Amino acid sequence: MNDFFSTYGSLIVSMVLGSLVGLSLYLPLMTGQLSLASPGFYALGGYIAAILSTKVFISKSNLFPIHFLLLEMLIAGIISGLLGIAVGIPALRLRGIYLAIATIAFVEVLRVISLNLDITGGAVGIFGIPQPFENQIEYLWIALPLLIISMVLFYRLERIRVGRAFLAIREDELAAGAMGINPTYYKVLAFTLGSILAGMVGAISAHFLNTWNARQGTFDASIIYLTFVLIGGSRSFLGAVLGGMVFTALPEVLRNLADTGGLPDWLSHFLRDGRLIIFGLLIVIGTIFFPQGLVTPDLFKKLTKVKRS
Amino acid sequence: MQLSPKNTIILEAKGLTRRFGGLVAVNNVSFAVNQHEIFGLIGPNGAGKTTLFNLITALIPFSSGELIYEGKVISQLKPHQIAGLGIARTFQNIRLFGELSALDNVIIARHLHTKSNIVTGILGLPLATREEENSRQKALELLELIGLSDRTEEKAKNFAYGDQRRLEIARALALEPQILLLDEPAAGMNNNEKHQLSEFIRDLRDRLNLTIILIEHHVPLVMGLCDRIAVLHFGQLIALGEPSVVRNDPAVIEAYLGD
Amino acid sequence: MDITLVLQQLLNGLSIGSVYAIFALGYTLVYSILGIINLAHGAIFTLGAYFTYALMGGNFGFSGLLANVVLPVKLPFAISLILSSILAGLVGIIMERIAFQPLRRKGSDPLLTVVSSLGVAVVIVNLIQYLVGAESYTFPADTFGNLPAAINFGTVDKPIPIRSVQLVIFAVSMVIVLILTYFINSTKYGKAMQAIAEDQVTASLLGINTDKFIILTFFISSFLAGLAGSLVASSVSIAGPYFGIGFGLRGLAVIVLGGLGSIPGAVLGGLVIGVIEALVPSEYSGYKDAVAFGILFIMLLVRPQGLLGKKFIQKV
Repeated sequence: MNDFFSTYGSLIVSMVLGSLVGLSLYLPLMTGQLSLASPGFYALGGYIAAILSTKVFISKSNLFPIHFLLLEMLIAGIISGLLGIAVGIPALRLRGIYLAIATIAFVEVLRVISLNLDITGGAVGIFGIPQPFENQIEYLWIALPLLIISMVLFYRLERIRVGRAFLAIREDELAAGAMGINPTYYKVLAFTLGSILAGMVGAISAHFLNTWNARQGTFDASIIYLTFVLIGGSRSFLGAVLGGMVFTALPEVLRNLADTGGLPDWLSHFLRDGRLIIFGLLIVIGTIFFPQGLVTPDLFKKLTKVKRS
Repeated sequence: MQLSPKNTIILEAKGLTRRFGGLVAVNNVSFAVNQHEIFGLIGPNGAGKTTLFNLITALIPFSSGELIYEGKVISQLKPHQIAGLGIARTFQNIRLFGELSALDNVIIARHLHTKSNIVTGILGLPLATREEENSRQKALELLELIGLSDRTEEKAKNFAYGDQRRLEIARALALEPQILLLDEPAAGMNNNEKHQLSEFIRDLRDRLNLTIILIEHHVPLVMGLCDRIAVLHFGQLIALGEPSVVRNDPAVIEAYLGD
Repeated sequence: MDITLVLQQLLNGLSIGSVYAIFALGYTLVYSILGIINLAHGAIFTLGAYFTYALMGGNFGFSGLLANVVLPVKLPFAISLILSSILAGLVGIIMERIAFQPLRRKGSDPLLTVVSSLGVAVVIVNLIQYLVGAESYTFPADTFGNLPAAINFGTVDKPIPIRSVQLVIFAVSMVIVLILTYFINSTKYGKAMQAIAEDQVTASLLGINTDKFIILTFFISSFLAGLAGSLVASSVSIAGPYFGIGFGLRGLAVIVLGGLGSIPGAVLGGLVIGVIEALVPSEYSGYKDAVAFGILFIMLLVRPQGLLGKKFIQKV
């Protein structure tokens, strides 16, 4: 068992973090807004943690104290939230593709800024971010509770007034307005909650990955996170969770598949190095055959019905 | 109890105008609706009736003119604020929340009558839970009123056309409005259903103390149901009065003959 | 500030701006016909560059499946340019048939097509990397034959040297813009495309084979992307399979600035952004990339329909 954890511990943590990023993208999607801004807040959160832990919270002990990590998460969440409101209020007046483009632009601006500032380490980034744990798998102490709490919150959200307002806006923003729901307020709320979550996950990830640079907030990162939600399931928070886990694990699975042997040379080579090609193909196929993603609310209902009978 | 229209004006339009580029969709329209009236709005296709509704519910801005509600000038408002004042509507092309259940569709319209925010909601504090239960109860009552109480959990998009129209009315009623705007509620119905709908609308007005403004194509239905009728043609108001008067108005006859 | 330096920046800006323009034209054509933003446009841009390099007899480095492969031809730049752009156009058609047409048939939300185009971009870029690796390539020094390296636009004591390659790019781009404008406005095909852009249903009722024109549009759009990619590569270099992505994103800024769906807007937007970027003082050159996105973000907030676009009115 120990062996399993040491080989796959890192992967498991990555999967949990992936799910959390998926959830942060799912929030604006609940109001029908396609926002690609999460990677920007994720990168921001990571930088905040990286800068604070290497320059401010200098600790003498061997391991980085956990309460500092939690504090960093809090700060990252707050700053991301404030930036989320600042960006969200103007940007969410836009619809559809315009909003998606605006969020892409926002992430790019953040990326270029981070490449040019000294405090973020420029193109090289920040190294040697202190570790609060001895083994990678111990990050689950932080990541897993966060995921579980988030999932409970999402479960509750769908059943209360605010969550219904989100869904109404997604279904038909115009009609929602005519029924008394202020679309701008709720869209910004969802967007900001997503930014807070993304920022917090970024803070954890910075420590987990030990280094942090501008590559964390790139456009292809956005695409990958988007796949989590869109293919995992865009109408259910479980889709985001599952999508995050599956698609984070996918490259590893493919690599292992390639290494098992017994496969023709070209195939194992392709599985190992052409992983992203497969990713892209999955996106294209997914939009055609699974427009709502794999984990749809109907599917979930069917599965739970089967359990009961 | 049969309600008769009061002589107090609840909604007044003064010179409402809406231009789209070179086109004038609504042209200097003025009228007043009395409280508890069933007020009909008719006219040939493209006359500007739905545009007028959209102006009243703030879906589109006026190019000029004024709207007065309960004596106060309302302009520059957002649609959700209009709803907050007590003006609810249905849509010509039915805009239900398709993927949500019938019950949820109606509960959502209880939004303004509830207060719980995301924190109290998620934590399940007593206020929030009570509100949830109240909303649910109220929604069930309304669904029963329109005869859909056996299919509350079904997705709105799966209902038959006629049932969807009734569901949309139930949703609008959940706002507990003062004024209900119905945009072609009888579209797609046969004569029998139209008659039932007519009775239903009158019943709603009487029971719930509503004022109802109704856009409708089927002239006989309007003549039989409405206390007064306004006729629009090419965006202009060409007649306004009781059904018997409007029916014989030469301008109205000409407008419809040319349709 | 040295006026000759500013003029030089200006002229260089116009040159790169003209490439932005033809790139953006491809974007905006697809948008006006189909209402979607094809995010794989930047990937086709990259493909065009690689195609031209290969056709000119370029040698692909040591990683990737096709390591050390060299085509048995060594065509001159002009011919390689045209051929590779045609190839790019064909790839565009394939992309449309495989990824976008099924979504159109299903009546899917246009946003889904945009997401699919992201997938296509990922496939193309990573396929390039898989096949020829991630190194950068420069076009051979004799690409432009006997043209002098630079031409002096100023006087002898106040020289304003402009690299010939910039001039070639500008010339080619402007010619393309003129040809395209003539095509759209004055030919039967162009008018049909305008009709489809205006109202697809009516157009098909009028007997216009919308499917055929959609294919034509994608061909032209991808031709333009490939052309732009080759031109930029000849001026700078191919920095690796991802070098078109940044361009693709910048193209978004151009079409939003110019106005989605507006052809003169794409040209205007391209030139404006090209010039503004070129005028960024060298101390802030690291922020050059952010210029386009900053403009984009502001435009979206202040005037989403861009400089020359039409305001979008939602029908209730």
